Amino acid sequence: MNWQEHLPALLLAVPLFGAFIAPLTVLGGKGLRNAWFLFVSLVFTVVAFLLWARVGAAGPIIYVMGGQGWNFALPSGMSIPVRILMEVDAFSAFMVLLSAVAAFAGALFSINYMERFSGVEKFVSLYFLMIAGMFGMEITGDFFNFFVFLEISSVASFGLVAFWRDRGEALEAAFKYMLVSTLGAMMVLVAVAFLYSRYNVVNMAALGKVIEWGMVEKTALVLFLTALAMKCGAVPMHMWMPDAYAEAPAGVTCALIAVSQASLYGLFRVCFTIYGTFMGSPIIPWVIIVLGVLSMFIGVSMAVIQKEVGRLIAYHSVSQVGYMLLGFGVGLLALGDARAMADYGFTALKGGVFHIVNYTMYKGLLFLAAGALYYATGSRNLNDMGGLGRQLPKTMVLFMIAAAAIAGLPPFNGFVSKLLIYESSFAVHPILAVFAMVTSVLTLASFVKIFQTAFLGPELKKFKAVREVPGSMLAGMTVLAVAILVLSLFPTWSLNHLVEPAAKALVDQASYIGAVFATAATGGGL
Amino acid sequence: MWDKVLTGFGYWDVYSWLAFFLIAGGMIFFLRSFGRKDYKQGTDQDEIFFGSNPVPEDGEDLKVPASSAYWGYTQALKPFYEGLVGLHTGIATDYAGWYILVTALVALLILV
Repeated sequence: MNWQEHLPALLLAVPLFGAFIAPLTVLGGKGLRNAWFLFVSLVFTVVAFLLWARVGAAGPIIYVMGGQGWNFALPSGMSIPVRILMEVDAFSAFMVLLSAVAAFAGALFSINYMERFSGVEKFVSLYFLMIAGMFGMEITGDFFNFFVFLEISSVASFGLVAFWRDRGEALEAAFKYMLVSTLGAMMVLVAVAFLYSRYNVVNMAALGKVIEWGMVEKTALVLFLTALAMKCGAVPMHMWMPDAYAEAPAGVTCALIAVSQASLYGLFRVCFTIYGTFMGSPIIPWVIIVLGVLSMFIGVSMAVIQKEVGRLIAYHSVSQVGYMLLGFGVGLLALGDARAMADYGFTALKGGVFHIVNYTMYKGLLFLAAGALYYATGSRNLNDMGGLGRQLPKTMVLFMIAAAAIAGLPPFNGFVSKLLIYESSFAVHPILAVFAMVTSVLTLASFVKIFQTAFLGPELKKFKAVREVPGSMLAGMTVLAVAILVLSLFPTWSLNHLVEPAAKALVDQASYIGAVFATAATGGGL
Repeated sequence: MWDKVLTGFGYWDVYSWLAFFLIAGGMIFFLRSFGRKDYKQGTDQDEIFFGSNPVPEDGEDLKVPASSAYWGYTQALKPFYEGLVGLHTGIATDYAGWYILVTALVALLILV
């Protein structure tokens, strides 16, 4: 038996095991805790990479828990899958890989960043629980488990946002996040209940096979759409995001970026894989496009006027999510129309998928750089900062790489995905591309503001004693900077090996459904 | 791996950009090489020009704070920003309210 067949199970088991053991590491002191944090993070990153490589080589992987065998999707002659089923196609594997890289960088950064605080073993435990929930959302093949994993990652992230519980702002941010997130999760559960009551299944592939376009399905789609759009920070449901992202420890925010992308993944899985061409209305794609444009423009407009570095970058997260919603909305609009898909739809999808990976890498790095500024100066307020390029030259260079990438400055990767989105959205309506380009200009303006006020300018006496941040923090940032440089310098490779397979998997509804039902014949389910 | 990225409408060639930056960098260093090397460090010759006033010792008295950045832009768009900031109340029930409002609007669009 090939052990790599169990990679989907390992992907969940490793962070879960890491989470349950983490509190015990207090017995071995700080060294053991840090070693465990790093080791488990490294292992799940390797597992994620192997899973991505395996899916790339062999196609979608089905993994069944609680059945007669791991590959029996339809056991005991059943016609529908009823077990806990994981389905990893190229889009899931892509999401898992980039989430793992962000989580690894966040963990590496947190080793030194969190050393000044007590109770870090609880932090490590919550961190791994959040990662396990995130991976679960990205590889699960059924909706009820999607809800369960959504809750696991959400509850763990509430605790992490409130980790600095001596700060009233952190508790307030966690409370607000908890309120809207729980409301959204309940709506996801209600949507699952609607579909279950109609079709008697919660399996995504089975639903995709039988779904029709009726009142129940429309209601469920509305609930899924708004709940998951809120979880990924679409305007006007974004207001929890600057609070939570700015208050969470920087390493957590880096991973939270990936967690919000898991919600975005869920949204696109619902729209493309479950409803797909059965969606008998252009209203939903247009709703996604409008949410995207609003998020891009409102997010960046709010970012420009922020004085706190974390909040400024967090508003940019809202804006960047807008680009992805625009790309996927245009792709969804073209779904079912072969000509439109060939003309601009698939380009928009590639832009959206490429922007997911770009955003996760550079936004993660920006939050880590913001954390490094806070670690070095003890301040989050840009008005208090200045001239730090002298004391933090390495942090400054890493920040510059991320800022140039997010602003879409040539030759960085941010421009490639934005170019694909500009050109394809222009084909739908020029005003969409205009909004996207204006957003890009304002993005550059706000990162120039951080760079100028924090790193440039005259040396401040109060920061004379500031020294460059410790090694693990620099290493965490470097992981993401290297990823940005690879994506920037090898855009064709990135598109061919990372982006296109994921975009193709997203629109290939038949392949996702067929992978589950094919195991009836090959796995011996019937 | 080294090809251009074709978008369907145009293309993206990172290596042309790298060549551009290399050439531009070379030209900058070339022009810089014409600069005078005989100035005396530590004298008035390398003093910052601060409107003919003495340069403050602490950079704190010199720097432009972040809140002053883009003052003209924010002043020109003051009504827009007043409305936008006003929407961000920071009240938790408003957050939930926006979510419910959007859900209701989308439901109205798709169900009616």
